[in-house]
Amino acid sequence: MPRVFITGLGFITSIGNDAATVTRNLRELRHGFEVYPPFQKPEIPVKVLGTIKDFTTDSPDPEDWTFPAAYKIKRELLRTMAPNGLFAHCAMLQAVADAKLTEPDISNPLTGLYAASAGSPYLLHYHNDRLNKVGVMRCSPLGIVASIAGTLNFNLVAAFKIQGSSCGFSSACASSAHALGYALDDLKLGRQKRMFVVGAEDGNVDAILPFAGMRTLSLQTDPNLASRPFDAARDGFVGTGGGVALVLETEDEVVRRGVTPYAEVLGWGQASDGWNVAISHPEGNGSAAAMTNALRASGVAPENVDYVNAHATSTLIGDISEARALRAVFKDAATRPAVSSTKALTGHGLSLAGAMESAFCALALRDGFMPGNAHLTKVDPECGGLNILRATENTPPDIVVKNSSGFGGANVALVFKRVA
Amino acid sequence: MPDAVSPNQGNTKPFPPTPKPFTPEDETALREALKRCSPSAFEAAVQFRKTGNPEHVPAVVIGVIERFVEPDLRMKLKDADDDLRLIEDLGIDSLTMMEIVILVEDVLQMTINNDELRNLRTVGDVKTFIDCKIRGLTLPKPTKFIPIEHIGAVMPVQPPFLFLNEASVSSTAANGKYKISGQEFFLQGHFKDNPVMPASIMLEALGQLAVLYLLEGAPTEPGKVVSPQTIFFTGCEGVRAHRICKPGDILSLSIKPKRMKMPLATFEGAIRVGQEKAVIVEEITLTFGLVDAVDAPVPINGTAAQSAAAAPVVVAPPLRVAINA
Repeated sequence: MPRVFITGLGFITSIGNDAATVTRNLRELRHGFEVYPPFQKPEIPVKVLGTIKDFTTDSPDPEDWTFPAAYKIKRELLRTMAPNGLFAHCAMLQAVADAKLTEPDISNPLTGLYAASAGSPYLLHYHNDRLNKVGVMRCSPLGIVASIAGTLNFNLVAAFKIQGSSCGFSSACASSAHALGYALDDLKLGRQKRMFVVGAEDGNVDAILPFAGMRTLSLQTDPNLASRPFDAARDGFVGTGGGVALVLETEDEVVRRGVTPYAEVLGWGQASDGWNVAISHPEGNGSAAAMTNALRASGVAPENVDYVNAHATSTLIGDISEARALRAVFKDAATRPAVSSTKALTGHGLSLAGAMESAFCALALRDGFMPGNAHLTKVDPECGGLNILRATENTPPDIVVKNSSGFGGANVALVFKRVA
Repeated sequence: MPDAVSPNQGNTKPFPPTPKPFTPEDETALREALKRCSPSAFEAAVQFRKTGNPEHVPAVVIGVIERFVEPDLRMKLKDADDDLRLIEDLGIDSLTMMEIVILVEDVLQMTINNDELRNLRTVGDVKTFIDCKIRGLTLPKPTKFIPIEHIGAVMPVQPPFLFLNEASVSSTAANGKYKISGQEFFLQGHFKDNPVMPASIMLEALGQLAVLYLLEGAPTEPGKVVSPQTIFFTGCEGVRAHRICKPGDILSLSIKPKRMKMPLATFEGAIRVGQEKAVIVEEITLTFGLVDAVDAPVPINGTAAQSAAAAPVVVAPPLRVAINA
């Protein structure tokens, strides 16, 4: 089976809208949180969000949006985008330039695109509301493709003239990790020679606040304290949106095009909790099984893993489950890998999380560092026994594992390797 | 026959329709709806909503279309020519057409059905369509695009004396194109070492387009069709040639019926090359006759069935949103 490499990245995230800024903020542990104006109402106890800077997408009309002038997007494309579509489109443009892809490299039967977003609850609500107000035959003809789950892949596949495999993935917070895993399969099985993997989320009021009902959102008002994965004082996750794109290519393509990859994608694994629709398994069984499957598929022994970018979202139950899973997989305390959750900096990107954090792993592997777990004052004893990094380490990791878990107890683990 | 130019028969609705009261809230909503359209389109929409006067409709429609056309193509709408094609010339796809329709419905307070959209191919089609809707008139026959094979099959004139490469015919006009190839036999002598399209031949080309209109576009009595064998030239007036036309020039021909009264049909006509006037004819008159539809003479060069099989009329795909879902 061909080896597969990451050759391009693009970022629109709460901690930066380009790879250089994101790398600096990961190294220096600078977060992307702000007191989010639309939350500042007495009836909304949630106050903080991982905000996307230099973009305004708070109108239902894309022609009202503003974004950096470097991105030229025709109305014809913009009109069917949700905010997450805009973020992802910009991230795709970065990834294409980063990987030095030409138009024929992008649009051919052997290049595909897998994407994940939760759709746009904001636009779905707006368009259905219009339908009720102005009449069935006068609702926007573009409302559906701009808002339903799948809007991200519809838009990107059409805009970039993708001719290979295309699909949207929907496993909540594991979605874009699933997308990456199945993209890897398509490449390993020889079905495709290049895959774009994209995750994106609106990260606005309608996308984030519905989680408040479950009591999973942090109610912290101080952006510096809101997201604290593994910390004893954590009180829930901080939402975020954005878009991240990765370019995966087979070794033949990497050699043919003469590009330097960020990292190799060794393998992946998945497993389900078989437990609860929204509560993770108390022992982290599914997550542990996913990691074990991924390591086996990659031919990597647990003791050879240097760094795990955890799923840990800063929720009370989830972080404990994952800590237990990590202890179960990496049994030997002496050789346990370094662990951190970069959600302490970005917030939880939901469907975006897997792709965003895999891209962080690619940066860490290329630049030789392991980002610390920010905002960690006192490790929750339930999460003890792990080598949680309090500060960024400038030791180059060789093997990195990325965990993602989603509703329904879906768990994905991905394994990346440094390019020697 | 007169409903070719004034399709007013059978109309029982009051004209102009009594407008609903136009409130300040309506004006605010209208301003919001037309916020990306030109001020003149907004002003025309306000006037229409206040008075119900259909004269304001074209400015609204053009304003709405302009708003949805990519900026670099908007210049084309400035000297809008009703023959400007929505898809080919303005890059409007079926989704954009739906955006245009919904905005027009909203600002003009009207309802347009899917079926009615199918045949809107040109800016003129859209203007006529909305005008008819607002006046409560019967819609004219849609514009038909007629390829060269079909022109050859229906016309009594044949090569090497046929001067139409393609044509479109509606009930109110016909348009055609002819490229001067340089191989036309008469150019050998007109003139010596200096091939120039004879003005008389350009007049002939306009006459041929009028013939095609009579055969394909003109409304006739029920059960009757115009017989190709009965059409002949009777006269013309006000002919002026403005430009020398030479091999390589593409002649854009257009005719519009001015009067139709059996057995005479009078048209005005014009030929342009690009934006330049080449020939103007104030009046060109043909004589024609009707035959029963069942006894219609078969087209030249074969039986009706054969020629229909050999040269089907290419019907453009309907302008509807293609649902892939």
